[in-house]
Parts: sequence; structure tokens; C-alpha cells
Amino acid sequence: IMNAFGLIQIGLILLCTTTISSLQCNHLPLQQRKVIEKSLQLLDKMGKKFPQQCLKEKMSFRFPEQVLKPRQKETVKVAIEEIFHHIFYIFSKNLTLASWDGTALEQFQNGLYQQIEQREACVIKKQTHYFRNKDVNRLKLKKYFQKIDCFLKDKQHNLCSWEISRAETRRCLQLIDKVIRKL
Amino acid sequence: ETDETEWKELHGCQNVTHTECDFSSAITKYYDTHHVHIRAERREEVSPWSSIFEMIPYFIAQIGPPGVQLQSTNGVIKIKVSPPEANQVQKMWLADTLFKYTLVIWENSSNAEFRNRSIFPTDVIDDLAPDTTYCLKVQAVLTSESHEGLFSPIHCVKTTHKAVSDLLCATNVSVFALNMKFHLHWNNQYKQHVSYNVQYLTGYLKTFPDQRSVNWLNVPGCENITNTQCNFSSIITTSGCYYLRVQAMSEYNRSCLSDEIEVNPLVTNEIGPPDVKVDISDLLLHIQISPPGGSESEVMRDYYDWSYRVLYWKNSSNNEEEIKMKEIKQTIGTVSDLTSSTLYCLKVQAFSKFYNKSSLFSKEECIKTPGDKILPLIILATFVTALIAVLLLAMPLIFALYQAYNKIKYVFFPSCQPPLNIEGFGGELLSSPYVSTTEEPIENCCIIETIITEEVNQIDFKDYKNSKQSSRDSGNYSNNDDASGSKVSEEMLEKEIV
Repeated sequence: IMNAFGLIQIGLILLCTTTISSLQCNHLPLQQRKVIEKSLQLLDKMGKKFPQQCLKEKMSFRFPEQVLKPRQKETVKVAIEEIFHHIFYIFSKNLTLASWDGTALEQFQNGLYQQIEQREACVIKKQTHYFRNKDVNRLKLKKYFQKIDCFLKDKQHNLCSWEISRAETRRCLQLIDKVIRKL
Repeated sequence: ETDETEWKELHGCQNVTHTECDFSSAITKYYDTHHVHIRAERREEVSPWSSIFEMIPYFIAQIGPPGVQLQSTNGVIKIKVSPPEANQVQKMWLADTLFKYTLVIWENSSNAEFRNRSIFPTDVIDDLAPDTTYCLKVQAVLTSESHEGLFSPIHCVKTTHKAVSDLLCATNVSVFALNMKFHLHWNNQYKQHVSYNVQYLTGYLKTFPDQRSVNWLNVPGCENITNTQCNFSSIITTSGCYYLRVQAMSEYNRSCLSDEIEVNPLVTNEIGPPDVKVDISDLLLHIQISPPGGSESEVMRDYYDWSYRVLYWKNSSNNEEEIKMKEIKQTIGTVSDLTSSTLYCLKVQAFSKFYNKSSLFSKEECIKTPGDKILPLIILATFVTALIAVLLLAMPLIFALYQAYNKIKYVFFPSCQPPLNIEGFGGELLSSPYVSTTEEPIENCCIIETIITEEVNQIDFKDYKNSKQSSRDSGNYSNNDDASGSKVSEEMLEKEIV
């Protein structure tokens, strides 16, 4: 299909955030719970049961559970946000070898992305100027996800490495689900 | 390094003659705390170590400038941004898919105003004047960490003239959505035959700086169509945003893309009315609500977390009745401040606090409260029932008492008096009421007749028999024994004759 020589009218592309910014930021945790439930369902729907042959390649990534210990609501919220970012990033990689259900994967990513956008819209609303956030908990989470990222790279994103990462992500989301229910 | 006893040489900062050095190659663990100290050397002399400088590479690092590519066509500027560490293997900013890009653009003239806006990696800037030179710069931002990166170098470009709008293109692309049914409508002014392809892009793909952000797919059921509307409910899920556009194609293989429209399903749609059932008991109005959506209400209920507003009023000829409102969270509720014998009407609206959305109002349902007439009727009914009950209990009792009275009266106060001509009865109070009878003397009757002689004349005998018979017949009072005795003697006689 050839584009018109004369004309391509591409109008204003609105960011999803502009429509979401009118949402009530106080009710965000409730929405997050629903998104996490849905994400867990989609994660399961994406692929089949964990393949037996991948068991021997299983690695312990040691999720830093202390970041989710609910000392302060804000700390936990920041941790959850960071985790969503990284999960979104990981699942943006080359997934052809995993051969998962494309629709489920798309919905999974879209849901995470919307959550991230909503959260950011609320953050922007609150802040008048930027003070760079230097949270140590973020670093712990970044180290953890870096391990997963390196693991995937080392195994060249093969099926087993993806299945192990998927199982690890499920574990992550389940932990978040537990914590959010207590908030 | 982190352990004080294990200081290592910092590569890139050995034997440096300037007061700065680049030790990037030495840093691999971006999230660990590093300690650095420095000393000066001159031939054999060595200065003491400086104070320790502590740092975490990740927190010290600044997001670098992104790469920018521009294309000026048809009065708009097409921009393609590449992330700061685009071609590096080892990256500081892992989650580079989550960079947002801020564009600052201004006209290349004096007193130009700077305009800020947020853009996607692949984007179009179209609110520009034609044949004007604009200058712009872009920065990458990590919003979650409130980290703004360095700006790219300034790029200046001149916009071309705006071409005449092609009539082929679809215009006024808009979405009409009710609950979870989504329809796209557009206009077209092209005189000749046009066919359309409706395309969509899942929202999150726009954030990628690569081909994925332009990977538009056709909406099933809306390929090569001729009418100017499309039902795209099939591609919509509640997970997030979607972008839609219409591609118009003419017979001569010419095509044109319409404006893109963003659809956020849970936000963009119109919510249909909920269903309401009312019931009345005394002065309590019971309301039963079905959430909006009908058959799709599962999805609707999951995501929207409805609360309900009930509006109710007295429906009288006087139209100035106050409309009262009650908010309920569940699907069942009651309204209690009602007056009797009044017609009340109500309608219900569902609303979602989070999405700040209200549904359409349900149909008006009217119901009349029961009047006070009921109360006296109830009282009367209760009274009559009680009366009957009392009567039922009292009747046997009265009857029993009456019977007892009769018996006593009959025994102690007899109504019959004995006849006055019987002596001895008048004054005797305790005499027995029954008259004793004397025994009747019983006669021992016997037939005194004996026949002994043989020479009795037959005729006499016959006569005697007859007379005997007759005498026997008349002997009504005789005893049986005697009678049987006389029979025996007669038999003897008859034998003798024969």
C-alpha cells in the first residue's frame, strides 16, 4: 500500500496520559489489584505448563523481598512501580523463541503499560519540579532484574530461559498481590 | 572499592597529568557503592591520600542526549528519536523503553516563544505554520525517577508548504461507544468509489523506538469496506489504550491515511443505564439494581466498581416536589423516609469514582405506598379473630356448666311431685322415690286328671282326648313338669289301645 504523494494527514497524537490524568489518584491501589490479578491470569494463559526439560536450568535470582515489607505505603508503592517497569522491559525483548500466545502477551504488556502511565500521571500531578529520586530500594530491584536480563542474554533468549523468567515474574507478581491486599 | 582494605587501581586514572580522568571502563557494577581516593605523585614523592569520595554510579550518572532525525514533509515535521544508549551493549538505563521524550520547539525568529510537549519516539509535529523555520531540541525523561536527561543538540528545519487536502482522506474520525461496544464513524467527500481499511495499534507499542510502533494491523471485519463505519469491539480488551486510523483507497491504487484517534476503552465509552426493580412493603421501598452492561456486565462490573445514585420523588400533580437522592454501594437498597398512600417514582444511575463516570439513568419506576386504611382493617381483622377465638373457647365451657347445673337441679330440686292420694309419701323426705312392689303369689297349677282303666270306651277316649287337649290348652298357668307327666301317661294309654 503506497502512501499518498500529496498528503498524509496525521493529526494530533494524544498520549494515553492525557485522558487518564483526570482519574482519581487515590483509587489507584484498587485498580492496581485488578491489573495484577489480570496480569497473573494472562501470564498463565500465555504459555503452557513449565517444561520439564527446563528444570535443570532453573536459577535462583533471589528477589529482594525486604523492599515489599510494608513499613511505609510510599516505599512499597515505589517498589511496585519499579517492578512493573522492569517486567514491562523484560517482556519487550525478543520473544520469538518462546512461542507464546501473542494476544495474551499483548494484553499483558498493554495492561502493565497502562498502570505505569496512570502512576506517572499521578506523580506528575503531585510534583511541581523535579527532585531526582535516589531510592536505595530501587537499586536492589534493579540488581535483581539485571540478573534476569543477563540470564536471558547469556541463553540467547531461548525457550528455557524465557520459561524460567516467566515463572520468576509470576512469583514477583504474586508477592506484590499479597502486599497490595494488606495496604 | 567497597572494601577498605582492597583498594584497586582505577583504570584510566593512572599517571594522569590533568586534573580530570575518564574511568568509565573501570565501572561495571552500576548499582554498587564505590569509594575513590586520589593522591599526587612527583618522582619519588607521594602525597597522602585524599578524603574518600563515595558514589553509586547509577545515581551519579546523567541521562545523555537522545538522537534526533527529522523529516519535513507537507507542512509537518516527522521526528524519529533514538534513545540515549541506543547502540551500546552494556547499558546504564535498562528500562529505556520507558523513556518519555520532551520536545522544545520554537520559531527561529526574535521573541519566539518556546513550546514544550511530550512526544513518542516516532511522532509527527503538525501544529506548525508552513514555510517557516523552526528549531527544536529533545530530552529523554525517566518520569518515575524524576530524572531529566541532557538535551540533544539543537536542530533547525524549515517546514514545507501545506498541500491541498486530499478529498480522498477520511475526515472527522470519531468513536461512539456504549458499554463495551465500540464503533468508529468517519466522513468522506470523495466523489468516486472509495474503499476503506480500518487499522489499529495497541497502545503500548507506541513507546518503542523501533518498527513495532508503526506495526498497524487491520481490524477484522473492517477490511475493504465501503460504508463509513466500523464495529471494532472485537479488538478491544480492557487492558489499555488503542489507536485507530482509517485508510481510504481509491480505484487507482491511491491511498490516504486519516488522523489517528486514541481510544481508552474504560474512559472513552458511554455507560448504559442500569436495570431497576422496585418492591414495596409497608413504608419501605426495596430496590434491586442490575449493573449496566447486561450480558457484558461481568467485565463492566470487574473494572468499574460501581456505586449507585437513587433519585426518588413524590409523583403528584404538583410538580414542585423535591427530588431526594440516596447513594448506595451494593445492588440492593431500601428507602425508608416515605409517607403512606403516595405514588413515588425513582430512577437509578451507576457511577464510578475512579473513572469519574456516570451511566445513563435507568427507566423511571413508580410504585404507590400503602395507605392508612390498611391499619384499621388490620385492627378489625385482629379483633374479629380474637372474638371468634374467645367464643370458640367459651362455648364448650358454658355448655359444660349448663349441663352440670341441670344435673344438680334434677338431683336436688326435682320438678316432679308424687300424687297426693298415696299415703306415707307426703311427709317422708328421705323415702325412696321408687315404690316397692310385693311379690306376686305364684300358683302351682297342675292338671288333675288320671286315666287308669283299660275299658275305656274309644269314643269316650276320643272325647277324652279332645277334652284333654282342650283342657291342656286351657292349662296356661301349669308347670311344665306336670304337663310332661301327663303326656307320659297318655302315651301309655295310646299303646294299650293299639
